[in-house]
Amino acid sequence: MNTDLAPPVPSSPPTAAAGAIDATKIYGLGDAEVRALDGVTVSFETGKFTAIMGPSGSGKSTLLHCLAGLDVLTSGATYVGDTYLAALDDRQLTELRRTKVGFVFQAFNLIPTLTADENIRLPMMLGGETGDTQWIGQVIDTVGLSDRLHHHPSELSGGQQQRVAVARALASRPDIIFADEPTGNLDSTTGAEILDFMRRAVREFGQTIVMVTHDPNAASYADRVVFVADGKIDGELMEPTTDAIFERMKHLGH
Amino acid sequence: MAGSTILIARRSIRARIGRTIAIVFAVLAGVSFVSGSFVLADSLKSSIDGFIAELVQNTDLVVRAERVFEQDDFQGDSGREPIPIEIADDVREVAGIDVVEPDIQRNASVLEADGTVITTTGPQFGVVWDGESLAGVTLKEGRKPSGAGELVLDKATADREGFALGDTVGYVTDVDTYEATLVGTIGTEDTDSLFGATIVALDLPTALEHYGADGRVDAINLSVVDDDELSTVKAAVQEAVPDGIEVIDRDEFIAETQDSIGQFIDIFQTGLLVFAFVTAFVAAFIINNVFQITIGQRLRELALLRAIGANARQVRRLIATEALGIGVIGTAIGIFGGIGVARLIIGLFNAVGAGFPPTGTVLALRTVIVATVVGIGVTMLSVLIPARRAAKIPPVAALQPEIGFQAMRTRRLTVGVVMATIGLAAFLVGMFVQPGGGLGLAVFGGGGVLLLFLGVTSLTSTFATPVTRWLGWPVAKFFKTPGKLARDNVARAPRRTSSSAAALMIGVALVSAAAVFASSLRNTLVATLDEVVQSDYIIQGAQDGTTFPTAVTDAIGDLPEIEAAMPIQLAFAEVDGDVRGFAAIDPAAATQMINVDLREGDIENLADNAIAVHTESAEDLDLQLGDTLAATFSNGSTLDVEVAAIFGDNSFGFNWYLGLDTLAEVTDAPDANVFGFAKLADGVTPEVGDEAVRQVMVGFPQAQAQSNADFIQDQEDQINQVLLVITMLLAFAILIAVLGISITLALGVFERTREIGLLRAVGMNRRQTRRSVRWEAVIVSVFGSLIGIVLGTFLGIVLSVAVPDNVISELAFSPGIIVAILVGAVLAGLIAAVYPSTKASRMNILEAIATE
Repeated sequence: MNTDLAPPVPSSPPTAAAGAIDATKIYGLGDAEVRALDGVTVSFETGKFTAIMGPSGSGKSTLLHCLAGLDVLTSGATYVGDTYLAALDDRQLTELRRTKVGFVFQAFNLIPTLTADENIRLPMMLGGETGDTQWIGQVIDTVGLSDRLHHHPSELSGGQQQRVAVARALASRPDIIFADEPTGNLDSTTGAEILDFMRRAVREFGQTIVMVTHDPNAASYADRVVFVADGKIDGELMEPTTDAIFERMKHLGH
Repeated sequence: MAGSTILIARRSIRARIGRTIAIVFAVLAGVSFVSGSFVLADSLKSSIDGFIAELVQNTDLVVRAERVFEQDDFQGDSGREPIPIEIADDVREVAGIDVVEPDIQRNASVLEADGTVITTTGPQFGVVWDGESLAGVTLKEGRKPSGAGELVLDKATADREGFALGDTVGYVTDVDTYEATLVGTIGTEDTDSLFGATIVALDLPTALEHYGADGRVDAINLSVVDDDELSTVKAAVQEAVPDGIEVIDRDEFIAETQDSIGQFIDIFQTGLLVFAFVTAFVAAFIINNVFQITIGQRLRELALLRAIGANARQVRRLIATEALGIGVIGTAIGIFGGIGVARLIIGLFNAVGAGFPPTGTVLALRTVIVATVVGIGVTMLSVLIPARRAAKIPPVAALQPEIGFQAMRTRRLTVGVVMATIGLAAFLVGMFVQPGGGLGLAVFGGGGVLLLFLGVTSLTSTFATPVTRWLGWPVAKFFKTPGKLARDNVARAPRRTSSSAAALMIGVALVSAAAVFASSLRNTLVATLDEVVQSDYIIQGAQDGTTFPTAVTDAIGDLPEIEAAMPIQLAFAEVDGDVRGFAAIDPAAATQMINVDLREGDIENLADNAIAVHTESAEDLDLQLGDTLAATFSNGSTLDVEVAAIFGDNSFGFNWYLGLDTLAEVTDAPDANVFGFAKLADGVTPEVGDEAVRQVMVGFPQAQAQSNADFIQDQEDQINQVLLVITMLLAFAILIAVLGISITLALGVFERTREIGLLRAVGMNRRQTRRSVRWEAVIVSVFGSLIGIVLGTFLGIVLSVAVPDNVISELAFSPGIIVAILVGAVLAGLIAAVYPSTKASRMNILEAIATE
């Protein structure tokens, strides 16, 4: 392992918004040792919508957490833009998450005591900024939440809550948005709305999005699908269709 | 940055309203008790100060005996000798003097038509009144008394007893029983009575004779013609009076009186503050526990904040801001709540007979500042650890809550043992070494107990699981599945169980310690009376601190049913630089009445300047039999006394004895005894003796004679009353503790929503759900109480051992109180469970299961 070595120079083209180099993550010790990531090297292009797919326990969520600076690698490196995450202390990591990264989780995306509007502005408020008001207005319009802005999360439907979450992720114009099964808790129609909106954010605003999912239909909204199995990258598909993904999934890990 | 923290904190305070109310109440209770202690003391002082100032507003100068030595301040003016009345004539000659009013206060009681003494709640006094009002006395009806056949009474007593002007009124003094015509009534300017006392007022010559004043008065009050001349006149008066007499002016007198009363109030206030801080301490436990739990429940919310860009400091600050907000609300209400608490405490003390005067309300700036510091301080200290804990939540916990507090296991066993050991050591040092006297006792003793409580709380979590399993066994046995669930739920969160139990533990420990102390005090008293006192009756003044004439013991001694009776006078003398209390006794009688455990010499012949010394005092001063010492008595006369005996028992508090004859030789002290003993003659049954003594005592209202058994009962009643007051003062702390159990449980129920929903879904009915939560509360409160009893009993034992042997020499426990505490603990648990158990049983099953 190369824990003690200086991070290698990224071999990826300058268009990469984020990536991992020989990323390894081990949980537990001895017999209980689990290699969640086993030497993953991957990069994500700026302005693209990438899906990471794999069965449960494949390590796809761990990869996302490590890419986003939420979790720490055992060895190897992850980077966002030109910043290596391993070199950052907690304060710098926090700053990175606040300014460079946006998140959409599967559930519990919103602070229950704050209104939709406050939740959207929260990252800026935490930084003591007001943010780009015009941009935020545009995001809110696009998400179609103008009339629900002053509601609390408990008064919103699951789909509306996820839309707020996406709006929050977009509001600070991050370099990259990480989405962890954003439609996992939604019915298919609502899920499609969210995915469609995310794709529009990429196409129209040039936003970079990396999404973890196990749903081939959701992955089909992406420009590219990266497959993960047993902690390793197991191929990819460009401009995927649902059927192609299904087909690829059948042979995953083989 | 600050904006978002405050916004979220504000929302959180509002959204978690149950938690907010509970913490506000905890803060409020602590703060209002602190504030109330100050408000009470300030109000008392201000009204008494005002009262004193008003009372002496007409007096410009006071002439009285000098004190030979500064005496224990609680003796008040009792150590001052009376002065000859002739001095009044001397000062009347001084130019610039307007009014001269002798002041005297002696035992005197009013008699009913059948010759028995009227029953009053206040004290009864005889005074002199010649129509002047320097001491604040105002004529209400009729005229002033003149000559032996006339008296006046305070109007309140005259009205209550139905005496009209012209009626014949009997009164009894230390000298005799008299009759006189009621010629007037008096009061103060605003009231019909003088401090609630029953007052007999006579003219000067009659007073001197009837009160047995022996030609002497306590003091002489003067007023001057021209206030501007005060200092000149004061100097002239000082010139006119003999040596040993001092003259003070009004300001000095007011300051002195206010000081001496202020001291009592200060002690009272300090006592209350101790309980107030105990309450605040318990409140801190609850606040800490509630925040600890809610942070656990908000794990995902806080982790989410971290994930989207809040740094650790912001999360810490968020928790601190929430606490601050709640603390400010609680403190603000609590400061004003203090006014109510002050009223409550006055009511409580008056209910057990303290007799506080009605007061106004003084809310001083100091009170507000101290209460604020306590309220905010306690709240912020309580969330120090929870806030740090919150800041350590890793952002990834937003996605995987189970990661939550992984790395945060503290070493509670080590921390607990270290804290408890240091606390215990400090407590023992405070109790036995007392570095730096009273302050050391307070700092080491109090601080040690505090640390001990914290340490034990930490330790408790290490054994909470096995012990509560054991405690819950009968519950599980009796209530089947709900009982078993209750037991398991207590046992599975040992940290939470121990901190909510700890709050109750503190209150219970203090009650238990006081109970052990009180029982030991009582048993020591019983043992003393058994072993030391060989007589059958104890005679005292009718009120606390009053005295009685030798005529009382003489009359009892003359009874055929009584073998002998003897009085004890108290005299103060300076020996070897310190003021010592001497018990003046009749040595021959004393040997029959009290067994002082004679070690050396001979106590039967304490004549001719001979004294007896307790062995410890003898050791301190390195005294041997036959040594002589110079003793300076309170009238200034000096006597060389010789150590004739050394004794070993001082359970009555006397370390020095001398003969009454010797005392009479050196001082012309009034005939005032503090104690007396009487012994039944051979063959007389207690019933016969009691009746004979009772009958003779009818003539002596200024004294009371009690059989040993009655005396013990009386003392025991007083001890129990103090114990009751202590318990009442701890009620606040106990109330907060019960509230703490309740809110902890409610939060637990909230946490287990899904679980409870599932149980309900598979067939547990509402009653079973309620029962399960209810017994969970009972197990927690019994657990806390048990630790409290053990810890408190230990503290009580140490305390009892630490006090001098003449106060406590026997240890005793009161099983009754322990049983009462345990019954109370079960009740407390049941009360605490009302809200959470109802909440649990009313849960909507479908919603509960759907909860994430």
